[in-house]
Amino acid sequence: MALRAASRSLALSSRLLFPALLSRSINSPMAFLHSHATSFGMPSSYFNPLSLPLILFLSSLGYKQVPEEQKSKLVGNVFSSVASSYDLMNDLMSVGLHRLWKDRLISKLNPFPGMKHLDVAGGTGDVAFRVLERINSVSHRAMQGTLPDTEEDTQIYVCDINPNMLNVGKKRASERGYKEDSFLSWIQGDAEALSFEDGSMDGYTIAFGIRNVTHIEKALSEAYRFCQILLVSHGFACFRVLKRGGRFLCLELSHMDVPLFKEIYDVYSFSVIPAMGELVAGDRQSYQYLVESVRRFPNQEKFAQMIQEAGFERVEYENLVGGVVAIHSGLKL
Amino acid sequence: MRRTAALLLRQGGSGGGGIPQVLADVLVCPLSKKPLSRYCEASGSLVSDAIGVSFPIVDGIPYLVPKDGKLMDQDQEKSEDCVAKDSSRSQ
Repeated sequence: MALRAASRSLALSSRLLFPALLSRSINSPMAFLHSHATSFGMPSSYFNPLSLPLILFLSSLGYKQVPEEQKSKLVGNVFSSVASSYDLMNDLMSVGLHRLWKDRLISKLNPFPGMKHLDVAGGTGDVAFRVLERINSVSHRAMQGTLPDTEEDTQIYVCDINPNMLNVGKKRASERGYKEDSFLSWIQGDAEALSFEDGSMDGYTIAFGIRNVTHIEKALSEAYRFCQILLVSHGFACFRVLKRGGRFLCLELSHMDVPLFKEIYDVYSFSVIPAMGELVAGDRQSYQYLVESVRRFPNQEKFAQMIQEAGFERVEYENLVGGVVAIHSGLKL
Repeated sequence: MRRTAALLLRQGGSGGGGIPQVLADVLVCPLSKKPLSRYCEASGSLVSDAIGVSFPIVDGIPYLVPKDGKLMDQDQEKSEDCVAKDSSRSQ
């Protein structure tokens, strides 16, 4: 039953090629980029070309034929060297699109005051800050400026395998005026072997990170292990979420499924990106790897199935920009 | 877990290698998934007694990647510098 329902929901969501995000006003960057793409008959950032070199390169150094033990080292080297400019580069290469994708991720997460949330592979705090900001705005709206008790319990745990990324995040947190150790915690950890107690989290997000993980199934089962089965209410503000289970959300570059665009995207991926990599970064090989790693990553349906196999229910996904990026979600009920 | 927390909180106040309570509340050993039962002041690390492995804390960030864990020898495990968690309780 559950499986059938889930597959129905998958089939439904696979048809949603262009989510609400894309139907924003014509003045939005995406609308602009879209028209740009069609008028010039060439790939543009609408299809995420510019964001690919960076996000893919950073979040998934290609690992074709790379032994498992070397993969994490390779990825680590890349992230260490780019940590300080990671988010800035994301902005430059995606023309800000990654911000919209992350905003979409947060709106799906629907954070609430008192939440215990874990963001994996989020060293620079990009997702964590958004979660926190959303919680603050929610609680201020609800309580008209007075802090509910539950807000004090809010805790966002940022976990990353790379300490350099975490240091950048910590620094940014203090620049943003977050007091040390309040609301935000920074932990170096491996998505495949997390160091959090079972059932300790209300939510789990991983943005442009899961493709880096050597064994995706392990990371998924870890995510399932410590998501809370049922939230414990700490007062009125949380009443609404009493029955909500721990939520898993994953933002990842995925597989484009719009016929014509797919061809363009392919040409762009396999011709333009490696050339661009050689030109800009002086490293064609790495860019070749990264493009291939995206192709090697399970497609939306398969990945959704893997999430289900890890134990999550109500698994569904949403394609953004025709599948260049997908947000998968699941609940632990 | 909360017992560990009190210890770690105390350490955190010194600005040294300690970690805050909110963190200590949810942390376990990434290998055994058992509580990180002790904070070792001498080495500035969290100790998983279940498997005799310690994990460093650097700039307030616990390094809990399995490969960062160091196997402790018997002597070190019993070292007086390492505070047993039961010696202190929160609240």
